[in-house]
Amino acid sequence: MKFRRYFGEHLFPPMLGAALFLVVWMILAQSSEALPGPMKTLDSAIALFSDPFYQKTPNDQGIGWNILNSLGRVGVGFGLAALIGIPLGFIVGRIQFIDKMTSPIISMLRPVSPLAWLPIGLLVFKAANPAAIWVIFISSIWPMIINTAMGVRQLPQDYMNVARVLNLSEWKIFTKILFPAVMPYMLTGIRLAVGTAWLVIVAAEMLTGGVGIGFWVWDEWNNLNVEHIIIAIFVVGIVGLLLEMLLVRIAKRFSY
Amino acid sequence: MEASKIITSENFVSEQNSRRDFMKQTGAILGAAGIMSMVPMGTRAAAWAAGSDAPELKEVKVGFIPLTDCASLVIASVMKFDEKYGIKIVLSKEASWAGVRDKLANGELHAAHVLYGLVYGVHLGIGGQKKDMSVLMTLSNNGQAITLSSQLKDKGVTTGGALKKLVDAEKRDYTFAQTFPTGTHAMWLYYWLASHDINPLSDVKTITVPPPQMVANMRVGNMDGFCVGEPWNNRAIYDKVGFTAATTQDIWKDHPEKVLGCTAEFSQKYPNTSRALIMAVLEASKYIDEMSNRRKVAEIIADKSYVNCPLEVIDQRLEGKYEDGLGKKWNDPNYMKFYNDGAVNFPYLSDGMWFLTQHKRWGMLKEDPDYLAVAKKINQIDLYKQAASQVKVPVPKDVMRTSKLMDGTVWDGKDPKKYAASFKVRAS
Repeated sequence: MKFRRYFGEHLFPPMLGAALFLVVWMILAQSSEALPGPMKTLDSAIALFSDPFYQKTPNDQGIGWNILNSLGRVGVGFGLAALIGIPLGFIVGRIQFIDKMTSPIISMLRPVSPLAWLPIGLLVFKAANPAAIWVIFISSIWPMIINTAMGVRQLPQDYMNVARVLNLSEWKIFTKILFPAVMPYMLTGIRLAVGTAWLVIVAAEMLTGGVGIGFWVWDEWNNLNVEHIIIAIFVVGIVGLLLEMLLVRIAKRFSY
Repeated sequence: MEASKIITSENFVSEQNSRRDFMKQTGAILGAAGIMSMVPMGTRAAAWAAGSDAPELKEVKVGFIPLTDCASLVIASVMKFDEKYGIKIVLSKEASWAGVRDKLANGELHAAHVLYGLVYGVHLGIGGQKKDMSVLMTLSNNGQAITLSSQLKDKGVTTGGALKKLVDAEKRDYTFAQTFPTGTHAMWLYYWLASHDINPLSDVKTITVPPPQMVANMRVGNMDGFCVGEPWNNRAIYDKVGFTAATTQDIWKDHPEKVLGCTAEFSQKYPNTSRALIMAVLEASKYIDEMSNRRKVAEIIADKSYVNCPLEVIDQRLEGKYEDGLGKKWNDPNYMKFYNDGAVNFPYLSDGMWFLTQHKRWGMLKEDPDYLAVAKKINQIDLYKQAASQVKVPVPKDVMRTSKLMDGTVWDGKDPKKYAASFKVRAS
């Protein structure tokens, strides 16, 4: 009884969704000769994932290495963005003068397509890999600054009044009031940022080459191997989902 | 000051002669003339590496684009011709010509399989940030093609002349693609269109896109034609999206195509490495031009590490067996060549100058450059000659050659300014 209810409420809808997705895919594949169907894709996926960590030549490595390399780039770019973006967000949110000073610049730069930053990265760093990391950095820093700043601004004035009455130091205000109150906003920013970062790395690697899931897709496109491109879409999606889930779990631990 | 360190061709030859004398003496002492013919390459390479002209770099990072004509670099690495000359070629597959350009300029790549015109463009600051460049050798002749879409075929267009009639009769946007603005494919495409009285700049739209996108766009009817290297033209036939309207050897028999390019800084700083690289690639080129080896070459380069393409798409045209997708089959005597007794590889000054004349013709260069001086600066004739003599590759006497192109004009490199100005169809 309990299981049936659980099944009906939690398992059935996603399963139905997946089944419908597969049916639509099959119909599309039937009507187009270039698009491979789910079974054909599954076959190549099994072949691909049976040996994800081979290293034949520098230009031919298993899909596992490609994913790990991309994750590494995202990790570095995203980590740097967090390191700089979050403190900046606090400052921008806390000090009105700086907020007014930076807000036009941030508003202007934020909507710029991440890939437009790639040539700048190449010019400055004179290497493809740092340029890719730079693109991740620049595209994931904005949500962190903006959300953190928003969290700081949304802080109820009462809290600050209490702090003033108790005559707390700026450091105490930060650790006891500001930080806990801003945490949920900050984590939203981080989640948005990691989503963007993962989104962007595929595109950036397509242009810069090297080992990574993005260039892997590009190379398979060069080969017009559509099955592998579809697999890559799933891989990118699933890895993105896992990153998101990981951050939600962290967020839950910190929410009050 | 750098120049004083570079071995000039005169003392280089004498040095080499003395080495050969030494070898002869050793041979005489051993009293076994037969041994000489059995071991020469290896021993000579050892002597080369042990001398003061050992390669400065042990590992050379060489970029390539997955195309059939990257074969000589792949073979030099896979068949270990590189190790014979004391270097290890580390191949790096690149995403695009713009990527190759940037990585060469950054120093991330030491050298690369690159479009002839791209090197010249970068040297003059068109199609990229200005940077002094070098051409170490030519890698290939022939073997590119112009593909037109199946939609054009359905309208009865199978030749350039018919295309001209359609463009005149039916006004719409005609889209043609090439791979890099100053590159070879752009120049072949422009030359072919212009020879049929179609101005590539004003009568049609020409865009730069990567090859897979050309085929994808042609499939959905967004692309009328493109010029690109193999295997893409054969691929368009294989995928039934287009047909071969002209091969580039029809435009210019034995035209220069890809070169082994690097920055001027690299060739000046590492002359020994450059020579070792040339020698390894020359030997690979020889190997590929033995027709009996071509099947094996096709198998090697079709691998996922390199061109990443079904074997049957590569091997036909690599072996000179052409099919145009309209039902015509032929054995092309001017198939993609890598060696041709050294005629392919010599970096003729006239070849390099030709690209400059076309850049001028199409308005990429506003003024006439000093054609000869630029070509002399870029094409490393001395380095090439030194390397070629080491591996007994014949070197032509003249640094210019005379070629007759499809429209009957003759190019001999003698009066580039006049040649560049002589074309009727040009940038206005």
